[in-house]
Amino acid sequence: MNVIIIMCAGILVGKFLFPAKWKRVNEFLQTVCTLLLIFSMGVLLGSRENFLREITTLGFQSVLFFLIPSVFSVIVVYPLTRIFLDKKREKKKEAD
Amino acid sequence: MVYLAVIALLCGIACGMAGLDNVLPVEMIVSNKDLILYILMFLVGISIGLNRGIVSKIKEYHIKIFVIPAGIIAGSLAGGIVSGLLTGLPLNQSAATAAGMGWYSLSGVAIGNLAGAQAGSIAFLSNLLREIFSFFSIPWISKNLNYLTCIAPAGATSEDTTLPMMIRYTNGETVVLSVFNGVICSAAVPFLISFCFHFF
Repeated sequence: MNVIIIMCAGILVGKFLFPAKWKRVNEFLQTVCTLLLIFSMGVLLGSRENFLREITTLGFQSVLFFLIPSVFSVIVVYPLTRIFLDKKREKKKEAD
Repeated sequence: MVYLAVIALLCGIACGMAGLDNVLPVEMIVSNKDLILYILMFLVGISIGLNRGIVSKIKEYHIKIFVIPAGIIAGSLAGGIVSGLLTGLPLNQSAATAAGMGWYSLSGVAIGNLAGAQAGSIAFLSNLLREIFSFFSIPWISKNLNYLTCIAPAGATSEDTTLPMMIRYTNGETVVLSVFNGVICSAAVPFLISFCFHFF
């Protein structure tokens, strides 16, 4: 919830206060924050007591459990976006 | 960006394995990761605010806005069941693990409590890997499929950590839909984990 409130504050700042010429600075800071978050995820993963053992024993199962659901999500969502959310296709349909 | 992300991840794992997580700069980053996330979300908000006319574009979707979270939930659960069949794990545990949809902290703890430490570890690792995977798959999906499908692998993380990749590789409209999807999926995760574990 905090995340949403903070983002809404950002939206208001972006809409009313933030100079458009600083867009690139904003993008750069986003990249820095993203890399720091990915780094901290790596630390979290690497500092697990049995990380290497977990990766060797549970790694295969973990890989299956992230890969198959992720791929299935893509397989389901892609046609749905093409059918229901493709604005170009809808406009074409309306024109016909 | 993808190369930088891989380097950051590998450096993080190396630091964690070398026990450097107690060294000041690393500890500062890890212990303030929520603050970093908040700063990031504020900056993402600014990007959205700079993009004019997004809200009116989103309104055009009406009820169809729920298509993406519904598809992600269905795809994740189906994928969890298939993974369960392949690994021989009980279907309730498999579906519950996939129902985490990338929310590793919650799913690791919740499934650990329901099915034991090993199941919790699998849930934690697989959902963390899903979040990492979505970082790296977004550029490919945006190029080869379409922008909206980039939200699919991100699942519940599409409202926060994977947003910067959305901003970089998709458009403002997709970013707003991504936030909406993240809210719906995140709200559904605790319910889905419990439901899958008890009813599958």
